[in-house]
Amino acid sequence: MPPAPHSQPRCSRRGFLGGGLALLATFLVGGWAGQAKGDFNPDQLRLVMRTRYGGRGSAMLEEWFALLERLANQPLQTQLRETNDFFNRRIRWLDDIDIWGQEDYWATPLETMGKAQGDCEDYSIAKYITLKRLGVPTRQLRMIYVRARIGRSQITQAHMVLGYYETPSSEPLILDNLVPSITPASQRVDLDPIFSFNSDGLWAGGSTQSRANPVQRLSRWSSVLTRMQEQGFL
Amino acid sequence: MSLIKQLWFTVIAILILTLGGSLAVGLTALRSYTEQEIRVKNSDNVNALALSMSQLDKDPVIIELLMAAQFDTGHYQLIELHAPDGELIARREADGRIASVPDWFVDLVRFDVPPSQAVIQNGWQQYGTLTLQSHHSFAYHSLWQGAARLIAWFGLAALVGLLLAGWIVRTIRRPLEAVIAQARDIGARRFTTSPEPRTRELRQVVQAMNRLSASVGQMLHTESEKLDRLRRRLQQDEATGALSRDAFMTQLSTHLESDDERANGSLALVRLAQLTEVNQALGRAHTNELLKSLSQGLHRIALAQGGGVVGRLNGGDFALLVPGSEDPDQVAEALSAELDALRLGEASMRLGLPSALCHYAPEDTIGELMTGLDGALAAAETQGDLGQQWVETPRGDLLYTNRADWRHALEQAIAQGPRLANFPVLDAEGGLMHRESPSRLYLKGEWRAAGTFMPWVSRLDLSTLLDLAVTKAAIATITREQGPLGINLSPASIRDARFLSQLTALLKAHPEEAKLLWVELPESAALRDLERFRHLCRELYPLGCRIGLEHVGSEFTRLGDLQDSGLSYLKFDRSLIQGIEASPQRQTILRGMATLCHSLGILAIAEGVASDAEWQTAIDLGLDGATGPGVRLAD
Repeated sequence: MPPAPHSQPRCSRRGFLGGGLALLATFLVGGWAGQAKGDFNPDQLRLVMRTRYGGRGSAMLEEWFALLERLANQPLQTQLRETNDFFNRRIRWLDDIDIWGQEDYWATPLETMGKAQGDCEDYSIAKYITLKRLGVPTRQLRMIYVRARIGRSQITQAHMVLGYYETPSSEPLILDNLVPSITPASQRVDLDPIFSFNSDGLWAGGSTQSRANPVQRLSRWSSVLTRMQEQGFL
Repeated sequence: MSLIKQLWFTVIAILILTLGGSLAVGLTALRSYTEQEIRVKNSDNVNALALSMSQLDKDPVIIELLMAAQFDTGHYQLIELHAPDGELIARREADGRIASVPDWFVDLVRFDVPPSQAVIQNGWQQYGTLTLQSHHSFAYHSLWQGAARLIAWFGLAALVGLLLAGWIVRTIRRPLEAVIAQARDIGARRFTTSPEPRTRELRQVVQAMNRLSASVGQMLHTESEKLDRLRRRLQQDEATGALSRDAFMTQLSTHLESDDERANGSLALVRLAQLTEVNQALGRAHTNELLKSLSQGLHRIALAQGGGVVGRLNGGDFALLVPGSEDPDQVAEALSAELDALRLGEASMRLGLPSALCHYAPEDTIGELMTGLDGALAAAETQGDLGQQWVETPRGDLLYTNRADWRHALEQAIAQGPRLANFPVLDAEGGLMHRESPSRLYLKGEWRAAGTFMPWVSRLDLSTLLDLAVTKAAIATITREQGPLGINLSPASIRDARFLSQLTALLKAHPEEAKLLWVELPESAALRDLERFRHLCRELYPLGCRIGLEHVGSEFTRLGDLQDSGLSYLKFDRSLIQGIEASPQRQTILRGMATLCHSLGILAIAEGVASDAEWQTAIDLGLDGATGPGVRLAD
């Protein structure tokens, strides 16, 4: 569940932006470990989920599979909305330090679903992977660092949302965990975009195999991509 | 392929595989590392630039300036900015020339790093896509240097590896070569023994071969001893160990008829005049002891004079033959000393030990010599206990009267060059084995046989000079006639280390001729100086020369000492051959000797064959060849 607007800073950690940007350079270059074949593997996901998080996690995973099945041939708008709702409703917002015991941990969708907890980038990652799975081209999806004003106050926080660009030059639709609905960016006056990225350039051609080399995969982004591959998402 | 070659191939293959492999892996790693560095640089820089631009006003001048600043101060090949619809907004590009690195290296490594891209945000919208490619020159340069360093290090490692391998191969090779040499020797029936190497496998092989050699040596020893016992029983007086009368007379005639240095020398007769009285007074056993002492004394003289023959003619009469003796007076003195010692040893009674001496020379006959000596001995007997008489035979053949004349004449003749006589040695089928070539020197208007001048040559220490001249003449003859040729070396020559090195050098300079050269020495000379003879064999054997002994007979038992020296042939003395067809016992001996020789890969040749019957018998007994007055090459 999203936190109350006035509660704790949602997604703030010192150096979030700086650290993230430094990592960004790396994860645009780095991919993730290549031991997995790069296939979406539901059995593998079920196995990992069951062994790590037990029945509750598995139940949510099954719901997610059902979601993927249900949305497979739906219009894009439905896919975006259902995906956004799925995670916004089922995942409870919490600081990384409280979930994982460390600052700024980027969780895979499986970890997020297993814990049923996550913070802003965990939502964005989960939605990104789900939409990608549903066949939305990654060039239309960008994770966007934004400066968020909380409520009507002047307090600003670092935050991350997922943007859907129909064309490169169009105005994006924003999938945010702070607000339940998907809105065009121009209506989100509480957000100032800073920078955006996606996983384009990380894969050669149509392959999901990373083009880069293991030694470069030191960023959180690449770390999460690696774990996703191990768990059977990619 | 030889084991050593295989070892080297293995070592080099391993070195190439490991070092080449390491080099390839190292270079690949270096290349991919460098490639990643470029990738990281591309993406870091494009993101940093895009991030800065995202924060700025999107004024075209500012954007362009930012791009230009980045491009001009950094190391870039290309920076491009495209609008979202693909239209080019700005572009900076450098020429792609790569300096200071060879083109082939660039072609070889050829980085494959795509340009990196990042999107510039303009609010929520994308302003454009920034494409950035670093200049590869620095990367090629550092890769080139890294490769050069790697190659240098691996080259050094390879060098050290090769040195190490060389050392190891050498330590393996030396004992291995020794083993091979021994195996080859044994293959050639030279049963050598060699020191055991430290390598365990090789040691076992060498031990086995040494055991084989030892047992062959043992067998040889036993067999030759048996033969020698037979021969002694046949030829020697049992009581004294001297030759029987017949055997001695054969020897004497052999010497007189020979064409070498044996044809000249001293002959002595000694008589135990009081034999009957001694026998009566001391008894038979004691008398035999006395006769034996006399015989041994004479043998000692012979040995001291470089070889000789002692015979018991009858009863108390003994004869001593000292061929080529350097100084006849020495023989006389030595004889006097021995007889005196014998007399003193038997103080109880008068023995009566007169002696008579004479020279012999090629023209003499046995009859004349013995008659002369008998007369002189009778005269000596009248002189008292140790009377001594010289038979002064008028020497018509004395060429020169004093040493100086002889030296002058011999040196001149040797310098002028010896001529080589020619006696064929034929094999069992009548084919030519080689030609015996005793030397002739031109003295006083005539070519003189060796018997004439050899005593003087050795007396004046000209043996080595003559032998070298003979070898040169032999080489010239072989070059001319392309046939195998046998020469004799003097006993004095093999004692001369300088001669040996000159001889070896001479033969090395004519390797083809050396292979056709048969070199022989008298048996007595070789056995008297066994070590030197072995040394000669060691030097000449590798050159392809055949080395043999002539006048073999009395010391055949010691052949075991020579079997491993590389002897190629033995020439059996006339005393064994003469009348062989009528002597079944000697046939037995000769057959045994031939068999032993064959088991060692040595050719057995009969010397002094005078008749067809002797020749035929010798061949029937298994001898490989024959030479002598009765042996003629059929046309």
